[in-house]
Amino acid sequence: MNDDAWTNDAQRFLDGDGDPPADADERARAGRFAAEVAMYAADLDVPSADLDARVLAAVRARAARRAWWRWFVRPHRLVIRPALAAAAAVVLVVLSAGVARMIGPGAPPVPAPSASGSDGVLVRFEFVAPAAHRVSLAGSFNGWNDSTLTFSHGTQAGVWTVTVALPPGEYQYLFVVDGERWIPDPTAHAQVKDEFGQTNSLLVVGPRGVVRS
Amino acid sequence: MAAGAAPAVSDADVVERVLEGDVEAYGVLVERYRAAFGRFAVGLCGDADLAADAMQEAFIRAFDALATCERPDRFGAWFHRILRNQCVNHRTRRRPHELLDEVQVAAPHRTDERLRRAEIRAAIQRAIDELTREQREAFVLRHLEGRPYGEMADLLGEREDTLRTRVHRARDLVRRRLEGLL
Repeated sequence: MNDDAWTNDAQRFLDGDGDPPADADERARAGRFAAEVAMYAADLDVPSADLDARVLAAVRARAARRAWWRWFVRPHRLVIRPALAAAAAVVLVVLSAGVARMIGPGAPPVPAPSASGSDGVLVRFEFVAPAAHRVSLAGSFNGWNDSTLTFSHGTQAGVWTVTVALPPGEYQYLFVVDGERWIPDPTAHAQVKDEFGQTNSLLVVGPRGVVRS
Repeated sequence: MAAGAAPAVSDADVVERVLEGDVEAYGVLVERYRAAFGRFAVGLCGDADLAADAMQEAFIRAFDALATCERPDRFGAWFHRILRNQCVNHRTRRRPHELLDEVQVAAPHRTDERLRRAEIRAAIQRAIDELTREQREAFVLRHLEGRPYGEMADLLGEREDTLRTRVHRARDLVRRRLEGLL
């Protein structure tokens, strides 16, 4: 065995494509290597949710600048009736005087960002379940199907998230852990009993966002 | 409402919303890909703070260039390319990593096992630093993120057997750096 390199068996094993190497020393070394690298990866200090807020603050500012620029370069049609000519002239003078201010930081108003679009409101569900292997979302919005909306791991250990577009309305839902346990959302604003006596979490979505969750 | 009428929001849906002016929707992509690629960024930059800076810059650049994303359904792969470039740029700003002797001096209270763990961690970090850029990317994706070769090929735009060769060579080098510690 070349002491400086892995055997082909070990490489295949470490690729997840083969059995552990037949040679006992190489097998043990490959096992320790995989374990040590996995621990190294687990110890890495990955970017936290603070990053999201910083990015969103930056892109909001950029979007505001873009909106101002679009407004500035867009052709504007100005209709002046003869009877209002004098008033229009005054307005033009005022506008001219205000150009310098407009170029400065006092940008025209930017349309408020709306969480609602043609496909509904974006609703983010979060659930902390460190021991779970799979978490899904079932509710009146997907026919209580526990296989269509699967949570993803967040960067924080044990935190699961999924984002769903929902039209305005009132919904009941539960989290499904490992396909077996149906659990109400502990952070929901309200829990309600259904006709079978089961406790469900309640979510109310308005046209501009979540009203109650 | 019909069953399955509320699918998880796809990347393409979010990109469309953002391009229509819904800036807040971009937060969905930021959260999604910070979680998916955070470990890759740290592994590539070799420093958590630099990785966070690189990732922030990458998200802002992606936002600025979002209209040029030709396949919004593959936003992840597109963003990954931007992130890789940012990590390479930020990596050049990194301070030399602390030497193993400094780890020992700074932590005299550590038990033998904890000291051994610190030695191994430092050795792995040094080994990753010594890899070529291509080897480092492949090793980080395979071993620190645990991605299968097919997914790696999709993200990096390379053939699977090419990536397999890079990972094998990287593994040999990391093994040499861990000699006596395993």
